[in-house]
Amino acid sequence: MLTAPTPAKIESIVHGRIRAVLAERAVEVGTLSGADKLSATLGLSSLDLAFLVADLEAELGVDPFAKLVSITSVRSVEDLVRAYQQAFFPELQRRGEDDAVAAGAKRAQARRARRERR
Amino acid sequence: MPQTRKVALVSGGSRGLGAELVSGFLDRRYGVATLSRTKTPFITDMLRARKRGHFHWGAVDGRDHEALRAFVKDVGERLGRIDVLVNNAGIAVEGILSTMRTSDIVEAVEVNLTAALVLAQACSRLMLRQGSGCIVNISSVNAIRGHSGVAVYSATKAALDGMTRSLARELGPRKIRVNSVAPGYFESDMVSDMTEEQKQRIARRTPLGRLAQIGEVANAVHFLTSDQASFITGQTLVVDGGITC
Repeated sequence: MLTAPTPAKIESIVHGRIRAVLAERAVEVGTLSGADKLSATLGLSSLDLAFLVADLEAELGVDPFAKLVSITSVRSVEDLVRAYQQAFFPELQRRGEDDAVAAGAKRAQARRARRERR
Repeated sequence: MPQTRKVALVSGGSRGLGAELVSGFLDRRYGVATLSRTKTPFITDMLRARKRGHFHWGAVDGRDHEALRAFVKDVGERLGRIDVLVNNAGIAVEGILSTMRTSDIVEAVEVNLTAALVLAQACSRLMLRQGSGCIVNISSVNAIRGHSGVAVYSATKAALDGMTRSLARELGPRKIRVNSVAPGYFESDMVSDMTEEQKQRIARRTPLGRLAQIGEVANAVHFLTSDQASFITGQTLVVDGGITC
């Protein structure tokens, strides 16, 4: 791939591939939501997910699960989209990590405040 | 390369059973790719002969995982697909375990087992997209019967059989079959160090009264990769003249 696709384009490609797998099983889906769980909501098996990853590697030329992301952390459509976006835009991962650190610090501060109140 | 040809990838196809399989798949009008550490006269002949265009060879060390993955990617691009993977590459490691160098143990596991897993992983991705495929792991009777001096070799081959059974369940829903062939002793480089007396002792213990010819082992692989074996998966086909029965 000569130029990196935009995050929106990546989302569109991932959604398209998920729809293709669902269509193969004659499952009708209206609008895909980022919060949709790949297994619980859409009924995709781990083998379906493996097929999706192989298919997306052929289309996008990257496999974020080879080193960057653990496949076990992917639960929702949004998780899958984000994994591919991070493969092209590592700053998204750093931003996500920063957000997670900030959220953790906030939770720790709240716990300390509760202990002090007691 | 016409896309109508099926494509077989045989690891360790530069000599012995691997070379026999390469020739057999070419005779069956497959496109064939093989990898080995060094180019043998057999590979040179194949590259020179009419096989050009339907035959591809790569110099790859089985311990180099990235090179294995790159080779599979290259084969997929050159030949268009991969229908069959034969995990044939292996090294014979012999000796009493308690006195064996750790580096020899690690090397045997890397070449005999890890390389097979990496190749199966890379090829199964193509097969998943194709919705079909066939993997054959070359195991050994040493995976079934214990023999002194081959603990490491036996461990790697028994592990391959375990991989066969689990991967057959994993990939079956996408019409990918996975089987093992477990040869007994056959005429090859691996028995070339044996004395005639040792070979005759094996022959006496074998119900069919002889060692196998290399083609008899290859035939089992060709059977399992053919449509005649379309409902066989997760099995280990023992080709040993009955020595383990």
